[in-house]
Amino acid sequence: MKDTNVLEALKEALRRLPGVGPKSAQRMVFHLLERDREGARQIAQALLTAVDRITHCKRCNNLSEHELCAICASPRRDPTLLCIVESPADLVSLEQSGVYNGLYFVLMGRLSPLDGIGPDEIGIPRLEALLNEGAIKEVVLATNPTAEGEATAHYISELVRGRHIRATRIAYGVPVGGELEYTDRNTLARAISGRHEA
Amino acid sequence: MRVQQQPAFILHQRHYSETSLLLDAFTPNYGRIGLIAKGARRPRSRLQGILRPFQPLLIGWSGRGELAVLTGAETEGPDFAIDRQALYCGFYMNELLMRLLHRHDPHEALYTCYRSSLSALRADKTNEAILRVFEKHLLREIGYGLVLDHDIGDNSAIRADALYDYIPERGPVRVANPDLNTRHKGIRLRGASLLALANETLDDLTTLREAKNLMRTILTRHLGDKPLYSRRLFYATTAPTVAGIERKVNT
Repeated sequence: MKDTNVLEALKEALRRLPGVGPKSAQRMVFHLLERDREGARQIAQALLTAVDRITHCKRCNNLSEHELCAICASPRRDPTLLCIVESPADLVSLEQSGVYNGLYFVLMGRLSPLDGIGPDEIGIPRLEALLNEGAIKEVVLATNPTAEGEATAHYISELVRGRHIRATRIAYGVPVGGELEYTDRNTLARAISGRHEA
Repeated sequence: MRVQQQPAFILHQRHYSETSLLLDAFTPNYGRIGLIAKGARRPRSRLQGILRPFQPLLIGWSGRGELAVLTGAETEGPDFAIDRQALYCGFYMNELLMRLLHRHDPHEALYTCYRSSLSALRADKTNEAILRVFEKHLLREIGYGLVLDHDIGDNSAIRADALYDYIPERGPVRVANPDLNTRHKGIRLRGASLLALANETLDDLTTLREAKNLMRTILTRHLGDKPLYSRRLFYATTAPTVAGIERKVNT
């Protein structure tokens, strides 16, 4: 009887992961216990280490093992450029694009008044403190082009301009390699209104 | 119940399970409804980028009760590309509708008013005036319409040059002697402001300030203790500008 309880507890624990329902949780449990006990130990150890050691970078708020994350600590990054993103996943995407060489600030969310998420909940006071340090010359607003993301971008742009710092917003447009015929109307409308010299 | 091609605006959306969305939509014939959009967050979903606030939609759903299933959605023309301060106003209107409308109560006139308010916000008319007019229509629709044309004491028509105390849930009473420091019974404002709100011609600062004060007091009675979160966006936007000016003066 007690055995089953341990098994059930593990299934329940795995179900906390996004995309894992009862069936997949059961598959994972049987796989780990029947075929890969060493792997199971590794996962458990890695999880414990990560949970204990990873915190938020004190400057950019991204997840980091050290007080200052690798990007913030790098001497090769342009310290006058600050890019604002909603989540660590957005930061990773931008890094993979390989064209951005400045620093980041990760909000860990966005303004969403109808969910009760306001400026304080997304670390705006910390961002203000960073802006007040005076090193930043331009803030790139890379929040998502959703209604909430736009509101967040506008809110931050006001804070930035109030400090006489340049605020820019990432451009909208047709995806590279995409076709106009299959692009949605709103994106096309913004692509046209935001056109630039060829 | 199966509904098709119903005009709608999304008021609010939340993630639900891995790939779905929970929506609150506002429709003319069915009022505010709760919907689940299955698979709307899948990478290749046709609904991606469509189910957004301030985008006029035609939607279909099936089922009754608290949560129906979205069966289709298409855009009905371009979105009301509102931005900046107007976007905050849009969220504010959405929050009011979410808080004050019961689900499944049809509000056709209010839907029309919401749509025209969004249109006005895009055209960049004075934001505040648009919100006051919207609030007036909203209160009337939920059964708490304001009395703006006559004194509830003696039934006389409102005089622009007189002062009134607006008593919540009743209406305006003329202040007999404004100089006398009588106990404040209601929200004090000029007859001109009441008439401007009635005629929807709020165009000077005093009128706007008085109308805002009136609406805020009345709405608070219906909203209860929980604050309106979208208001916090407005507060903070004025602050940094002021700080910026102060800094300029100091240096």
